[in-house]
This record gives sequence, C-alpha cells and structure tokens, in this order.
Amino acid sequence: MSLPIIRQLSAEQKKARHRKIWLVPLGFFLFEVIWMLWILTTAHAKELVTGYLMLFYQLPILNTVILSLMITVIASRLSDMEIKGDTLKLLYTMQRPAGFFDCKYVAGTKYLLFFTAGHGMLIPVYGKIFGFGTPLKISMLFSYLAVTLCTSMILLAIQQTLSLISNSQFLPLIVGLAGSFLGLFSLFFPAPVARLVIWGYFAAFPCVEMDWNRDTRIIQYNEVSFPLYAFFAFAAAGIFIYGICRTITVKKEV
Amino acid sequence: MSRYDLVDIQTNPGPFPALTMLSRCIRAEGQKLKHSLIFPACIIIPVIPAIMGSFNYLQNIGILKSQWYSLWTQFTLFYSTFFYAPLIALYCSYMWRLEHRNNNWNVFMSTPVSIPSLYLGKLAVIFYVTVITQTWVGFLYFTAGKLIGLPGLCPLEIIFWLFRGTAAAVAIGALQLLLSMVIRSFSVPIGIALIGSVMGMLISNKGLGLAWPYSLMLMGMNSNKTTNSLAGSGLPFITSALFFFLLFYLIAIWILRTKDVRT
Repeated sequence: MSLPIIRQLSAEQKKARHRKIWLVPLGFFLFEVIWMLWILTTAHAKELVTGYLMLFYQLPILNTVILSLMITVIASRLSDMEIKGDTLKLLYTMQRPAGFFDCKYVAGTKYLLFFTAGHGMLIPVYGKIFGFGTPLKISMLFSYLAVTLCTSMILLAIQQTLSLISNSQFLPLIVGLAGSFLGLFSLFFPAPVARLVIWGYFAAFPCVEMDWNRDTRIIQYNEVSFPLYAFFAFAAAGIFIYGICRTITVKKEV
Repeated sequence: MSRYDLVDIQTNPGPFPALTMLSRCIRAEGQKLKHSLIFPACIIIPVIPAIMGSFNYLQNIGILKSQWYSLWTQFTLFYSTFFYAPLIALYCSYMWRLEHRNNNWNVFMSTPVSIPSLYLGKLAVIFYVTVITQTWVGFLYFTAGKLIGLPGLCPLEIIFWLFRGTAAAVAIGALQLLLSMVIRSFSVPIGIALIGSVMGMLISNKGLGLAWPYSLMLMGMNSNKTTNSLAGSGLPFITSALFFFLLFYLIAIWILRTKDVRT
C-alpha cells in the first residue's frame, strides 16, 4: 500500500514545520552576501570592470567549502527526525521506501532551489550596485547556476543516504566536513585526480579562467567556453548516483 | 556516571567536594565517548590537510623559501581557516546529542552534582580531544617535513603556535558547547562554526580578530604566516580568549540554572 505522491510530499512539508530548516540556507546565503560584499569593496577599480568574471571565478571555490557543509546540515536536519523518532518502521508500513526517499529528497531540494535562485538574483544586483564595466552574460549566469544546483543535488542524495542509514549523525557530518576539505584541495590536484572528488565539482566546469602575472602581480579574468558535454555527462552520472543512494537506503533493514 | 559513583560522591566527597564532583563528571563524560566516532574523526580529518598541505608545498617549492615555516603556512591555511572550529563543533555536538536523546536531560539535570561541574566536565573532555587533535597535527607536520626532506627539527616557535591555537580552543569549546546545548540539532552548530571561521578570517584581516572568538584560532595558530603575527600582542590574545571563555561559560551556566529542560 502506498500513499499518493502529493500526500507524501505534504507529509514531508508538515514534518518540517516549526523546525526552522529554512534558517540554514538563509544563514549560508547571508554569509555569501557578506562575502561578496567584502570581495567587491576590497577589489581595485580595474577588477570591477570585469566584476562578473571575477565573481564567476571566485564563487564556485567558495561554494566548494560552504555548500558542501550546508547540504550536509540540511540533509541531517531532514533525516535526523526519522532516526531520533525511530519512525521508519511505521512509515514503511504506509509508504514505499523508495517513495519515502524521493519525497525526502524533494523536500531537501526545495531549499537548494531557493538558495540557487537567491544567487541568481544577487549577482546582477551586485553588478548594478558596483557598476561593473562589462554586461552580464545570461548564458554564463545560467551555466554557473546549473553547475551549482546539479552538484548540490548530487551531494544531497549522498548526504541524505548517509543520514538515513546511520544511527548517529556523526558519520554524515564527518563525511561532509572531510568532503568539503577534499573538495577544496581537489582544486589543486591534476584534473584526472580532481575528477574523483565529487565535492570539488562546484568548480569543475569553469566558464572563467584566471591569469595571474607573477611579475606585474596583475590578475586578469578571461572567459572560456563552458564544457557543456562534460556537464551533461556529470548530470547523467548524478542520476546514476541518485539511483545507487536510493537502492542503499531502500535495502536498509529497519 | 554510574549509580555507585553517585553514592560515593554523597557519602565520601573527599576534602574538596567540588573537585571530586568535577573529576567524576570528567570521568563520566569520558566514558560516554567510548566506542564513539570522535577519535577516528580527530585522527582522520587532520590527515587530509597534512597530505594536501605537503602536496601544495611541493608544488610551489620555487616560491616557498622559508622551509619549515613555509610548510606551516600550507598546513594551516585551510585547516585553521575552515576546519578547526567545525571539528571542535563536531565534538561538542556529539557531547550534547547524548543528552538531547530520549529523556537524558532529566537524568543529566537531576544528577547530584553542581551545574558548573556538569558543564566543565564536558568542556574538559572537549579540550582533551582537542589536545589530541592538535598533537596529532603537530606530529603530522613534523613527519611531513621530514618526508619532504626539510633539514633539522621544526622551529620551537611553531610548537608554541600550535599550543597557542590549542589555548584558543577553550573559548571556542565554551561557545560551541553553549550552541550545541541550546540548539537541539546535531548539525546546525557545525554549520555556524564554519561560517564563524570564515568570517573570522575576514575580521582578523581587518585587524579586529581579538574581538571575534573564531578569529582567535587563526591568530593563535599563526595561520598562513611565516612570522609571528601576535608578536607583542600575547597578553591581549590571552585576555580575549579568557574573556570569551568566561562569557560563554557564564551564559551556559545561567541557562542551565534558570531554564526548564525540554526532553
């Protein structure tokens, strides 16, 4: 027996009431607002001419550290209620385990969507406020948002699985923290090694490259073509990872 | 804390009852950590910056000329800025998670020991685990330096920086214990620690690090610097760490004394 999907989603919505989960993405978003403000107020006038390129270069690096942990926290908040309340036995009598996993995932994705949409609005707003010299390329903005959302969703599937299969939230948090660390360092790895670290994918599809001249100490940002096919391959791998995560959770003995 | 320990405290408190209570609380909190994942975490997580820091050092050996000091910059660059405080937050969240589950708050608050002893017992164990973590970081740093082929022993000054970073952890431990006590979620205080750490970097760059607890760890560890950034500011640093420790400790004690428990 299983409930209609709408009722299952509604149940997830009700479970999250009064838990103030939205404060997590909001807090991280406000942090990024402050971070960008700091970057832009300390930037030279020459850098502000290519302000959008600078943001599209720096934000993915920041996301590698910040978003990995934010996703871990969201997944933990959503899943911990089931672990603490030992509700899975009861839920699985009314709901298919796979349906439960999907609905929980949708509940988490909602926060990621709001967060990404906030980014999408913030970047042009800062462009207007600081008067960037070059216009914003919409394709570049969308490719940045697509990479951020896609990587976040894949990480959410992994973290949700870890949070649902472990009795303590300690393990998922360690994995999230270590993943965030590895993701950041993977940016310094040779490309074939870096591709093995999923937490580093926020910055794996650059549409901007930095050229730092050691003698003049001048940084220049240049646009590069977005690796569209590589990104599609990554998204396809994400679907596969989601399937594995769901299977692991469904097969877990409750 | 076992039933027998409680009976023992009441019947045989010793010459210093407060100290006896505290030592029993520390022992009880230590027992709660048995078979937990805290120790694997404090061993595994610092290995990542050790490998990456050494790798980064080797990649940039042409620019990094100060040998042991340069290796230190690569070790602490990310560890202190992003992961030291969240790691302590992880320990603190674990310590309170046990009380947040089932009806353990009732048991915790009805234990016949003083409230400061309960809180300080947890803080002492956090500090103990932090000391292990920092010692491990020091060992990894030294081993990495020798494997890379740096000459001689690492400068004593760096050991002092490591010690100073550990001292700053007292303030962060008190803050994170307070947050994990008030916020019943395991993960949210860890997220707060990460944001606090990154803001700590911005604030210490502005020269206001002593006014922000999370900056104290970066400053204490002399993160990403080859010369002592706290030269001549040792006393303000210690004063700031003590101030934040006392502030968060007193707030926590006040909450424990005045607010009713939620189980």
